[in-house]
Amino acid sequence: MNSSAFDMVLVIWKGLFANIMAEPAIFIGLIVLIGYALLRKPWYDCFSGFIKATVGFFIMQAGAGGLVNSFRPIMVGLKDRFELQAAVIDPYFGFNAVNAAFAQMGWTTSLIMVALLVAFVWNIILVALHRITKIRTLFITGHIMVQQATTGLWLIFIGVPFMQNNIYGVVACGLLVGTYWAVFSNLTVESTQELTGNAGFAVGHQQMLGVWITDKVAGKIGNKEKSVEHLELPGFLQIFNDNVVATSTLMLFFFGAILVVLGPEYLAKNKFFNPASGELFIKYIFKTTIQFAVYLYILSAGVRMFVAEMTESFKGISDKILKGSLPAIDCAAVYGFDAAGGNSILFGFLFGAIGQFVAVIALIAFHSPVLIIPGFVPVFFDNATLGVFANKKGGFRGLAIICFCSGLIQVFGGAFAAGAFGLAAYGGWHGNFDWDTLWPGIGWLIQNFGSLAIALAIIVMLIIPQLQYRRNKKGYFAAANPDMEPELSTNPA
Amino acid sequence: MLKVVAACGNGMGTSQIIKMKISNVFKRLSVQADVHHMSVGEAKSQASNFDVVFCSESLMSQFKGGARTKIIGLKNLLSEQEIEDKIKAAGIV
Repeated sequence: MNSSAFDMVLVIWKGLFANIMAEPAIFIGLIVLIGYALLRKPWYDCFSGFIKATVGFFIMQAGAGGLVNSFRPIMVGLKDRFELQAAVIDPYFGFNAVNAAFAQMGWTTSLIMVALLVAFVWNIILVALHRITKIRTLFITGHIMVQQATTGLWLIFIGVPFMQNNIYGVVACGLLVGTYWAVFSNLTVESTQELTGNAGFAVGHQQMLGVWITDKVAGKIGNKEKSVEHLELPGFLQIFNDNVVATSTLMLFFFGAILVVLGPEYLAKNKFFNPASGELFIKYIFKTTIQFAVYLYILSAGVRMFVAEMTESFKGISDKILKGSLPAIDCAAVYGFDAAGGNSILFGFLFGAIGQFVAVIALIAFHSPVLIIPGFVPVFFDNATLGVFANKKGGFRGLAIICFCSGLIQVFGGAFAAGAFGLAAYGGWHGNFDWDTLWPGIGWLIQNFGSLAIALAIIVMLIIPQLQYRRNKKGYFAAANPDMEPELSTNPA
Repeated sequence: MLKVVAACGNGMGTSQIIKMKISNVFKRLSVQADVHHMSVGEAKSQASNFDVVFCSESLMSQFKGGARTKIIGLKNLLSEQEIEDKIKAAGIV
């Protein structure tokens, strides 16, 4: 290649990079556009998919920017006065933290989207090769995929120097996260099918290891005859079914407490709070803490918009390639199958919340350098899900013990992870069950053993379905989906 | 044009799945429907603007039906058969 042609390639590449790769909103829009084109949708559907994905991503960024600003008085104050860092354990706050960290490092968040694509394709390959891999499930919960690829990429970029901010890291993240999606959603097939009476899906969310443990343990520690169905719940708990009310209440309570501890004098001295204008401290607290709910709402609206397009394009493509694999979907899909008619959901949340509060008090009592603030998503969705599975096998006692312990684990695991992986400085950690147990372990291994740990984690995870298969050769594929592979199934539908 | 919304706790995963299934069913029944998805919190305040609200059975108690609005609770969110049966039972088509 002569030099002028090479220069031109370089110019084109730089242009592509600056205008598309470095602009994740446009990049995700183009991914959707290509997906829709492959599905042969009419041009106006392709166009509107592109627009909604791009606009959704920009809305999400607007929410994220607002969250970072709302955080400032609290982060600055805690550092200044108590040498403390605070992290909200919530996937959106964790996502926000990684994005802020990427911006500070000068890395483009488009790489996250590439990692997500690699992970998704890898999951498809693992299912397509199910005769060898024994994988039965495809993970299609779009918003979770975005969050997990994000945290996964951060763990690899900070843990392995030669993979930092380049394609090696992106591919390694794709393989690692894609393996996790395939293997751990596959691990929930039996328990979910049993709970739902073969409804035809597995859990593809953030507490798949938790679901598996719950399914194994609940029957041993509880009694399924004594279900939570027979218990009366206080009516006010209903308000936690509404995420706006729940987030606002949690934030008002926890951030309000921190602002009170920081005190009006300190906040006024640092020009966060302006008593001279006649503003009351109590109104300042209310307004400041409620902002979290406001920006979280904006952020979620954006995520919803672009993920809806992304999921539709991904789902369409995977349906074309993989007929009959079992979809692994949002954990809330099991709520309708609660044997206690919804009681397990609220009781799971309640015991998880008690566990989290106890753990937060323990962190303060033992002077942890990282203070954890419970976010709504892990405390509600993880524990409600574990609650539904626990009640089915272990009744009230099984649910109470498992969800309380899960609450403790979420806070302690989250405190470790937020500190160890440097995200407490940005105010958030992913914080769902698997990300307070399995992933801090993987992250720690990566920090200490580098790329070797990534390879090892992938191999060990891939052995799990082999062991499952060996224990139940006959019913294994039939359990997932009677029409997946007729010749492999003992029970064709 | 029928105005339909699918609602779930956070308005992300589950409602998106229901939305895709509902759209399939309406398409098969040749009913023109504009299907949205959102969180229960949002859907509650906008329910009266819709003809039908779909949600998981466990969330049905959050909604009050109205003169215009029908509330349909689903057990298996992935079952197009259940959606079709309940649409017919509610007299929407």
